Amino acid sequence: MENLEALLHGFTIAVTLPHIVLMIGGVLLGILVGVLPGLGAPNGVSLLLPLTFGMQPVSAIILLSSIYWGALFGGSVTSILFNIPGEPSSVATTFDGYPMARDGRPTAALATAFGSAAFGALVGVVLITLLASWIAGVALAFGPAEYFAVYFLAFSSFVGVGGSPPMKTLVSLAIGFAIAAIGMDTVSGSVRLTMGIDEMVKGINFVVAVMGLFGIGELLIAVEEELHAKPVSSRIKWREVFQTVAGLPRYWVALLRSAAIGCWMGITPGGPTAASFMSYGIAKRVSPRRAHFGKGEPEGIIAPETADHAAGTSALLPMLALGIPGSATAAVMMGGLMIWGLNPGPTLFIEQKDFVWGLIASMYLGNIVAVILVLATVPIFAALMRLPFFILAPLIFIVCVVGAYSVSNSYLDVVLMMGFGVLGYLFKKLSYPLAPLVLAIVIGDKAEDAFRQSMLMSQGSLGIFFGNALVTTLVLAGFALLLVPPILRLIRHRPPPETIE
Amino acid sequence: MISRRALEVTTALLTGAFGATVAVSSLDNGIGWSAAGVESGTFPFLTGLIVLAGSLYNLGHGWLRGTGIAVRRSDFRRTSALLLPAVLYVALIPLLGLYGASATYLFGTLRFQSRVGIVRALVIALLTAVVLYAVFERMFQISLPHGLLGAMFDL
Repeated sequence: MENLEALLHGFTIAVTLPHIVLMIGGVLLGILVGVLPGLGAPNGVSLLLPLTFGMQPVSAIILLSSIYWGALFGGSVTSILFNIPGEPSSVATTFDGYPMARDGRPTAALATAFGSAAFGALVGVVLITLLASWIAGVALAFGPAEYFAVYFLAFSSFVGVGGSPPMKTLVSLAIGFAIAAIGMDTVSGSVRLTMGIDEMVKGINFVVAVMGLFGIGELLIAVEEELHAKPVSSRIKWREVFQTVAGLPRYWVALLRSAAIGCWMGITPGGPTAASFMSYGIAKRVSPRRAHFGKGEPEGIIAPETADHAAGTSALLPMLALGIPGSATAAVMMGGLMIWGLNPGPTLFIEQKDFVWGLIASMYLGNIVAVILVLATVPIFAALMRLPFFILAPLIFIVCVVGAYSVSNSYLDVVLMMGFGVLGYLFKKLSYPLAPLVLAIVIGDKAEDAFRQSMLMSQGSLGIFFGNALVTTLVLAGFALLLVPPILRLIRHRPPPETIE
Repeated sequence: MISRRALEVTTALLTGAFGATVAVSSLDNGIGWSAAGVESGTFPFLTGLIVLAGSLYNLGHGWLRGTGIAVRRSDFRRTSALLLPAVLYVALIPLLGLYGASATYLFGTLRFQSRVGIVRALVIALLTAVVLYAVFERMFQISLPHGLLGAMFDL
């Protein structure tokens, strides 16, 4: 009940004219970056980050999270209408969404996608409303050792169940940690890993990495695959929208299952992409209508879309309650929180009540705004996709350069971004996951601090990680996540799955 | 034509070299335990080792299992057609400033790669520079680099 009161208070913060304007603007920008290949939710949020420095934290987070919702929806539009996923997390939507649209039912395909997406997001937000403050309450008692154990658990789940080849995930993750260590060491003040370049003392900003890895990398992949937009009609028939949405409850089993998978993958940082693939895969295995999958089966749209949005939303739960982002975009937002001077984690729920509940309330509203706006603007954004890619690509490139530069007015950042771009291209080609790298850059320092503080407390004994029941459980769970999947695979003698992140 | 094996091996060598560099240069900061706690090189040293070990595994795995073609000749041409002008663009920024370089880059790609008419290419290029200037310098008060050329005009 206490949560409900706090939520109502949150609504009084979220439902003000300036915030609703920010929401609408954010959602529209989000749809735009979601629709454009090469620009996605992580870039969109990073691009606007420098513009939020002068804002109130509540307004800033409402803007950034709205971009996130918009981008999640926008990615599905191009998946369905053009067979081009605008976002990595909407790749699975193309499997059934595009065939359905091609067979003359684009409105039904879009409405199914948005309807189930809204349901997934709703489940995610309700979960946050109910659980976030409780988890934060538990986490208040955490010491550095418990924190390190939680970080360890999060990173293990990436390696163990993230869906990419485990050793590639591990390399990606460890590179992120190494990058986070560059520059001034927060504990001792000594300078690390600058390779003799003075400017590196300030470290490598995660925005620069995101711009390169996701922006330039994706752009290179997009030109290489020579995306040809073969559009189907993008006219929206509103009657069909309502009919389709009214028919969705018939698929309640698929909806609930996919939402559960999505929430699980969002909270343990698997991220929306892994969630949508996993949900589609499971639906294809267990659905009674599995024979129709790939030919425009509604369940084949419901499964990835619900999971995608449930994961995207619930990725904010660990970010708010524990300071561990559940997806690459959540990681960027958390970086923003730290820049605005907030300390992500359980203390937020005590010291920044307005911020937390304003954000949660805005998530309910933002998703409703997103559904309405995305339906209303489908024809406009579909027209944008007809612009030739050779004009779009240099423009997107310029946007990334400006974005990387404006983070800290540094030309070195632009050069670094190019390097990250090439790395992003190679990693995407070879199915190395990118999200762990970004996550590790953002929370690497915190994880290291937690480790070193625990070591100080225990005078250098690793025993502190088995000091009490809670921390032991967390550490053992981490090891289990890390070791069980490869052992199972060895038993079954199957090569690791190669999925795209 | 680039085989998947070659690409896997190159990437693993790149990441491995990075890991080794990180591990070696962390030694300067000291690794292990001192009176002040865990020394500041320890954590990066360990991550460097993990990167190195993982890269070695990926190297072997990529060498043994990597089959087929990763990048076809035509793919490679298209990717370089985007990347090379982009690199040139970034190299031009210190000289021409961000606005000048952006306009030049856009004009160049539109005119010479996509065969857009001179007038149209010029309009798109200049318009983009003006919009960038209006949004960043004016609206958000974020100063983007003006380059040597800009410095000459200012003085």
